[in-house]
Amino acid sequence: MEQQTIHSYLQKFFELNECELKGNDSGVLTVKLNEELDRLLLNRPFYWEYIKKIGQEGEPATLTFITNPDKREEKGEWIHFGSPRLHQIFQYQLKHGKFTMLYEQASQAALNPWLVANIKISYIGQQKKDEILSIGLHLISGVMVFDLMEKIKSIHFHTIIPDYCFTISPIIKIQSGYRRIEGYIRQYLDSMEHQWAEHSYNKFQQEKEILTHFYESYLQAADEEEQEQLTERYDNELDHLKKRLLPKIHIEPINGGLFYMSEETEKALRA
Amino acid sequence: MNIDYNFDQPFIKEFDHRIENHGPFCSYDMFEMAYESAKRLAVPDFKGLQSPQHLPHMDFLNHQLDCAKQVVENMNGRAILADEVGLGKTIEAGLILKEYMIRGLAKKILILVPASLVNQWVKELNEKFYIPAVSQKKTYVWEQCDVVVSSLDTAKRPPHRDIVLDQQYDFIIIDEAHKLKNHKTKNYQFVNSLKKTYCLLLTATPVQNQLSDIFNLVTILKPGYLGSYDEFTKTFGNKRTALKQDDKLKELIQNVMVRNRREDTGVEWTKRNVETVWIDFNDEEQKVYNELDHDLVSSDPFTSITLKRELCSSREACYLSLKKMFEEHQEKYDGHSWSKEIIEKIEQLPHHSKAKQMVEIIQQSSEKFIVFTEYRSTQYYLQWFLQQHGISSVPFRGGFKRSKKEWMTQLFENHAQVLVATEAGGEGINLQFCRNMIHYDLPWNPMRLEQRIGRVHRFGQKDDVNIYYLAIKNTIDEHLVSLLYEKINLFERVIGDLDIILQQLNIPNLEDEIKDIYAESETPGEARIKLENLTAAFQDTAEGEVTEDGATDYS
Repeated sequence: MEQQTIHSYLQKFFELNECELKGNDSGVLTVKLNEELDRLLLNRPFYWEYIKKIGQEGEPATLTFITNPDKREEKGEWIHFGSPRLHQIFQYQLKHGKFTMLYEQASQAALNPWLVANIKISYIGQQKKDEILSIGLHLISGVMVFDLMEKIKSIHFHTIIPDYCFTISPIIKIQSGYRRIEGYIRQYLDSMEHQWAEHSYNKFQQEKEILTHFYESYLQAADEEEQEQLTERYDNELDHLKKRLLPKIHIEPINGGLFYMSEETEKALRA
Repeated sequence: MNIDYNFDQPFIKEFDHRIENHGPFCSYDMFEMAYESAKRLAVPDFKGLQSPQHLPHMDFLNHQLDCAKQVVENMNGRAILADEVGLGKTIEAGLILKEYMIRGLAKKILILVPASLVNQWVKELNEKFYIPAVSQKKTYVWEQCDVVVSSLDTAKRPPHRDIVLDQQYDFIIIDEAHKLKNHKTKNYQFVNSLKKTYCLLLTATPVQNQLSDIFNLVTILKPGYLGSYDEFTKTFGNKRTALKQDDKLKELIQNVMVRNRREDTGVEWTKRNVETVWIDFNDEEQKVYNELDHDLVSSDPFTSITLKRELCSSREACYLSLKKMFEEHQEKYDGHSWSKEIIEKIEQLPHHSKAKQMVEIIQQSSEKFIVFTEYRSTQYYLQWFLQQHGISSVPFRGGFKRSKKEWMTQLFENHAQVLVATEAGGEGINLQFCRNMIHYDLPWNPMRLEQRIGRVHRFGQKDDVNIYYLAIKNTIDEHLVSLLYEKINLFERVIGDLDIILQQLNIPNLEDEIKDIYAESETPGEARIKLENLTAAFQDTAEGEVTEDGATDYS
C-alpha cells in the first residue's frame, strides 16, 4: 500500500467516522477524534470512566498522522502499511462495515433486490494465499454478477429509499440466496486445479509416514505405560502435522448487503 | 484428494436477523471501505515474503531475508536457525513470525528465551516487528495474551507447566535451543510435549558436543526425520569412517536448518583484535604452584589440575577449594604438615600477577571492559581488587534473576567501567556498547569462547573489538593456550566450524577429553604429548575440511 493511498484511506476513514480534520497538508493529517475512536485508538478506559463518573463529556484527543516520508521528523505519528495503528483502523473498519441495506438513488424507478456478498477465500496448505470475490445475486431472477463492488463504484446508494421509487420484494430469501452463492463457490473451487493442495497433501503423507515409522520403532520395545505415552505423543505430533500440511480452504464473508438497484443499472452490470 | 471447504456459518444468520430487525446497517461508504480494507489485507500469493513491506523501517540483510524465505517456503515453518553468533537470528525469527502472523496462520504464540533476554525480546518484537509481545509476569498471561515471552525455566515449573501444556500454540520460538540437546532432560521433554504447529529453534551451536545433539534438536521439529535414535547412530554414529556418508547427513540437515556464517554473509564486520598476554608468576606464586604437584594431591590428577587452574586464576579460588578438600577428607590430609603449610603459603601470597596485569590493561584505557572468569571467588577478588585501584565494576552471574541481570547491564552501561562475569554470564546478554573483553581464565571448551565474544562482536557493534587472553607461563594455562588455542589458530578463527571439526574427530566433549588426558597421564610430559597429538588431529581436520570454501558447512 503506497503512502499516498494510506493518506487518502486515513482521510476518508476519519471523515466517514465524523471526526474533525484540523489539518491536512502534504501527507500530514491532524484529526480530532470522537469518543468512540479515542477509546479505540488511545486505549485509556480509566480516563473515560473517570470523566463519565464526574458527569462530564470528556475531551477526545487530537492526533497527527504522518504519511509523507519527508516529514517523518515532524511531530506526529509516522504511519505506514505495517503500523499497528493502521491495522487497528483496518479492523475497526471491517467490523463496522459488515452489513448494509442500500437503495440506488434513482429517479422514479422500480428497484430490484440484490444480495451482495464480498468473500475472502483462503487457500491454506504448506503456505497460504487469499482471494477476494465480490458476488451479486439478483434475488428475483437468480442471476449472478461478479466483481460487483468494482462495477457499482459510480452508482449512488443511500440507506434511505429515494422519493418516487419503490422496491420489489425478493423471491429468493436472503438465506437461500446465500446458499446459492456458497454453491457457486463450491463449484468454482471444484473446477480449479489445486496443485498447491496436492503438493501439500503429498508432503503430509511423506511426513506422516516418517512419523509413523519413528513411533513404531519405539513402540515395539516399549512397555505398556510407555506405549501409552508414545501413542499420546504420536497423536499430538500427527495433529500438528495435519494442522500444518493438510490442505484446506476457508471461505469467510467480509461483508454483505441487500442492494436495491434499478433495471438500468442492472443492464450495465450484466454488460 | 479431498480438500476441506470450511464455510463461515454465523454470518448469514446475523445478516438475516438484521434485515428482520431493520438494522443496524452501515452506509455505502463504510461498506465499501471495509471491502477495500479486506483487499489490502489479503495475501495474494503463496510465495514470497509479505513481512518486509510491513516493516519499512528495518534494513534487513540479504542472508536474513533469504533465511526467512527458505523457512517459510521450503521448511514450512519448522526449522533450526543456526547462524553464527551475531548474525541476527532474532531478526530472522521475528521476520518469520511476522510473516505467519500476516498470513493469518499464527495467532497464539509462545517464545521461550533465557531469563535475561525476556525483556529484550519483548522490546524488539514490539519495536522492530510491531508484534504485541508481553512478558509472562502473571499466571493469567498464558491464557489471555496471544504473544507471550517467558523463560523456559518458568514455563516448565508448576503451576505454569500444566497451563502452558494445555495451550494450543500456533507458533513456538525457542532461543538458545542447544539447551535441548539432551533428550533425557526435563527441558527437552517439556518442549517436546508442547502443542505447536510451527516451531523455530535458535542456536549458534547446533552440535555442541556430540552428533546426537543435532538428532535431538531435529527430533523436536520433525520426529522421525532422522530415523529413530538407533537407526541414526547406526548410519552416522560413532564411526570416523562414516565421514563419506556425511554428505547425506548434510543434505538431510539442510532441509531443516539454516546456517549462515560470517564470511558467507558478505557483510563487513568490524575487526577483531586479538592479543594473548603472557604473564610470569612471581617466585612465591610459582613455588606454591609447584607445590601442587605434591604426592598428596597429584595422586588424583584431576584434583591437581583443578587446583592448578584455580591458582592460575586467584589465590582465593585455590584456597577455598583446598580448605573444602581438607575438611571433607580430614582422614587423608590431617596428619600431613603439607596441608597446613600450603594453606599458610597461599594466605601469604601477594596480589595475583594476573590480576595486576588485568588492572594495567584496563588503566591504559578509559573505555569499558568485560572480564570473564571461571570462578566465583575470583570474581569477588577481582571486584575488590579493581575497587582498590579506583575502578568501578559490577558483577554478573548466570544465577542472577532476570531483573538483576538487566539492572547490572544497565549499571554497567551507565555507571561502571568494568563488568566482571562468570562463565554463566556469557549467554543471554548483549553488550554491544562495550568493545573490550578480557578472558581472565580460559574455558576448556573453546565453543564457550565464541559465545562470550559474541556478546560484544555482533551486529550493532560499530567499533573494532579488542580481545585479550591472559595466560600464565609455565603453567597449565600455557599448555592450553599454546597447544589447543594457538596452534589451531582458535583465537583468530571464527569458531563457526569448530563444532564440525569436533564432530568429525568424534570428540563428544572437548572439555572432558582434556580432563581425561590429564587424569590419565602419569607425568606432565605425558600429558603434553597427548595434548599435542590431540592438537595435531585437530589441525589436520581443520585444514582438510574447512579450507574448501566452507565445504563442511551445512548450508
